[in-house]
Amino acid sequence: MTTAEFVKPGTLDEALAAMTRPGSMLLGGGTSIGILLKNRLIEPQTLVWVGALPELSGIGIDGDGTIRIGAAATLRELARSELLAGAVPVLPDAAGRIGNPRVRAVATLGGALVHGDPRQDLPPVLLALRAQVDIAAGSGTRTAGLDGFYHGFMEVALGEDELITGVAVPARTAWRDRYSRFTPGSEDDFPTVGVAVSLRVGDAGLVEDAEIALGGVDSRPILAAEAAHSLIGTEGGGAALEEAARVAAAHCEPGDDARGSADYKRKMVGVWVRRTVAACLSG
Amino acid sequence: MRLHFALNGEEIACDAEPDALLIDVIRDLGLTGTKEGCAVGVCGACTVLVREVPVCSCLYLAAMAEGAPVWTVEGIAKRDPALVECFVEREGMQCGICTPGQVVSAFALGLEHDSATEEEIRGFMSGNLCRCTGYVTITEAVRSYLDHR
Repeated sequence: MTTAEFVKPGTLDEALAAMTRPGSMLLGGGTSIGILLKNRLIEPQTLVWVGALPELSGIGIDGDGTIRIGAAATLRELARSELLAGAVPVLPDAAGRIGNPRVRAVATLGGALVHGDPRQDLPPVLLALRAQVDIAAGSGTRTAGLDGFYHGFMEVALGEDELITGVAVPARTAWRDRYSRFTPGSEDDFPTVGVAVSLRVGDAGLVEDAEIALGGVDSRPILAAEAAHSLIGTEGGGAALEEAARVAAAHCEPGDDARGSADYKRKMVGVWVRRTVAACLSG
Repeated sequence: MRLHFALNGEEIACDAEPDALLIDVIRDLGLTGTKEGCAVGVCGACTVLVREVPVCSCLYLAAMAEGAPVWTVEGIAKRDPALVECFVEREGMQCGICTPGQVVSAFALGLEHDSATEEEIRGFMSGNLCRCTGYVTITEAVRSYLDHR
């Protein structure tokens, strides 16, 4: 193997400094990088392990209800967080269904976001939640919406000198969020189709705001904005829901693979958008 | 690079490549109870404890275990012989290839739970695949272990 050095920085500044070395790559928990390394799909000269960095840890909530999660939080921490269970239950629910307990024990939120495989679960969930990512570089920090972060298959809008320090989810007041992962094969597999729905429902029972995000059916996780828009001002059922399902299915560009043909996946997008919106509104 | 960790309760130091996987380091030290099955974190045969948490040693970089307690099936069997007895008594195995991972995961379950429902056992042990038993006797072995501690 070609990796010459493993660096465990003690601080964020040390991590950012280590990232300036040629051929450096960040390591969260290794559940994706381990596979890429052993198959020689990546050959980093320096691995910078940020999974144990204190500045990237923790789950908290601001006074205004904004939920803040450190990039090094593991999926297990997300799944078991009482704070998240109360503030944004869709997130621990989704995190707790990814892979298996041993993967969840080490895989990190930051790693899950930057890996950029369109079949992952958390990107669509966080897209529907309108999450923002906090990004640090040697030159300073910035905040970016997750919408726009995914450019293509395993391509994310992150500079080589940048790392994600955390994720912010806006307060969920009056929002209802659900995520469906359709796994016709094994439950621990990537989903054939992942559908995240977030709806803000007013006192009159009308949908005031909506997001629908899809995983597994395009080169990247995507928002189906037009589909979501067709629900606004309606009760979220009947013809409006049929329209949302139809538009979402037309919006994605799935490929054929072992998890289903493109045509099948497109049909399943319609089915699971209907079911997930209905689940959102019923509970 | 030089690695130091507490393997089955014993402080050890060894040389390893910076990107060595924990399973290879463990097996090169002669502890071959830990098996590589799928090599992609799905089957659970390679399960070990790092910092008392079950991980896939086939994906876990050895350098991430620097300074940490690491327990393999060999150490778990000595740490709590009753657990292995439960697997034997309940016949929680057939061919045996998955058994080291099952034992380590069952021990990890016992670390976190004094008791567990059938659903909790199956949830915690999910991803420790067995292609022989159909899981009934494995679940019974874990139940027996939890009940008789």
